[in-house]
Amino acid sequence: MEAMVKKYQQRFRKVRDEMDRWSSLQSRLISQFRNASSIIQRLQVLLDSKKYVRLKDVVGIQEAVLAKQMESLRKILFSMNKTMEEFHGIVLSLGKIHRDGRQMVKGGGSNQLTVKQLQQRVGVKPRLADCLDGLMLLQDMHCSEYLLKSSLVSALSALTFKPRCVIASDLGALQQLLVDQPNIPNEEVQFIFDIIFAEEIC
Amino acid sequence: MATVDLTEPPTVETLCPETPSSFSSSPPLSPKSATPCPQNPTQSPSSPSSVLATPLARLWRPTAQRNLRNQWSKLASYRQQWASSSSTARSHATALVNAYLSQKYMPSMELGALRDIPNIKKKASQKLFKQQVLHRGKLLSSYKHMVSVVIHMVNISRSMKCFLKGASSSPLVHFSGYSEDKNDPGDGGGIPVFTFWTISCFEEVAEELVQMFILELNLKRLLVVELLSISCKVPPLNSLHWSDELYPGEFSDLSICNLYSEETCKPVYPRLDDQKSGMPAARFNQQPDHDVLQVYLTTWLAEVNIDSDRVDEIFVEVGDEMHVMIS
Repeated sequence: MEAMVKKYQQRFRKVRDEMDRWSSLQSRLISQFRNASSIIQRLQVLLDSKKYVRLKDVVGIQEAVLAKQMESLRKILFSMNKTMEEFHGIVLSLGKIHRDGRQMVKGGGSNQLTVKQLQQRVGVKPRLADCLDGLMLLQDMHCSEYLLKSSLVSALSALTFKPRCVIASDLGALQQLLVDQPNIPNEEVQFIFDIIFAEEIC
Repeated sequence: MATVDLTEPPTVETLCPETPSSFSSSPPLSPKSATPCPQNPTQSPSSPSSVLATPLARLWRPTAQRNLRNQWSKLASYRQQWASSSSTARSHATALVNAYLSQKYMPSMELGALRDIPNIKKKASQKLFKQQVLHRGKLLSSYKHMVSVVIHMVNISRSMKCFLKGASSSPLVHFSGYSEDKNDPGDGGGIPVFTFWTISCFEEVAEELVQMFILELNLKRLLVVELLSISCKVPPLNSLHWSDELYPGEFSDLSICNLYSEETCKPVYPRLDDQKSGMPAARFNQQPDHDVLQVYLTTWLAEVNIDSDRVDEIFVEVGDEMHVMIS
């Protein structure tokens, strides 16, 4: 039993590494999002030829500036999609860790564990059921958050040529959702890890 | 007569088709291909008409190679300097614009609890005014630095050649960056310096590169003139015109970059690479609003004249040819 718990703790350490990777991707995505939204907000102004005043004497300037900004926006959206692919990679990896964990208890017919064994507690060590639930919860959270992020990114690119008033408020809301990560409540994550690594806390 | 023909072959002129050290105000578009200079069979190194005889070419080549590597690594470093001073200038410009807009909106600003402090709006306005003076100075000095960066680039792009120094009869061979003999085009008789490219190939891409920065400097000057002119005072105190010299010696700096017209005694008006130069319309005395300033700052950021992909490509191509990494 103890060896099993050790194996699970090993898996949770892997999960923690993946979550660290997630956090660095999260900050990257936020800065990409900010850059993209400032360009989107500027586009409306740039489309208005009256706003060029003195620059109008430079033939072709409006088209050139717009083209450059669109190109930068395209590049940012492209790299956001790359970031999303990396998020997806983490979700897949968490899924695999969870599946492998389940395999350990439901493996071959001979070593199938009983409900009693799953619920058995040794000292401060986590029950096997805690381990299984934890892995599943963490995987679920990240999977839902990934889906939310995907829809935020597509909503962002859909905003490109919307009227200015819509853009300003919508961008704010999208960014808030992106920063908050509502599907990954910090306390709950901390709670799971506290149970799994209770002995290290004591 | 026969000896004269040998020392001054007519082909010397054709080896170096473009005037080496002048940027015409409307240069021909350089071909933007991966291999800018297809090998010309008449430029073969063993050609008897080559100015440098083969033993001399053997000595010329390493010096020319060293020179090119130096010049291109300097170009790369000035490119970085341009990027950093352009971005510094942009933050000064943004700070200037923000201070100006805050001062402009001060009379209508709702100050809440601070409302009762005597002269609060007046004092805040004065402070914002002082900030504008400060940022204006910083913007100007960043602009000045950008001009100096472009001047360096122009000078480098004109220093690709490597000339024979001293009499050719001397037993010791020296080379220099300056021509002492008008019969020496400084290109080793058009032989490839490293593998394929001749001196004029390097000059051609250098000119293409530097031209982007020259055009962008010119556009940024227009933005600097406009940004330095913003003011809440009526009539504006610091209104500038395109024909004003922004700092002492600016016009002589600009003429090095071919951005100053001796004919009109004014700086050349900005244009984009593929467009004709426009004529500045009469000045609006109306002060720019938030959106206009936003457009100005975005134009500063966009660097429309600098195709950064192409710039990267040039450095990679040149680096490949010289067997070094330039960055």
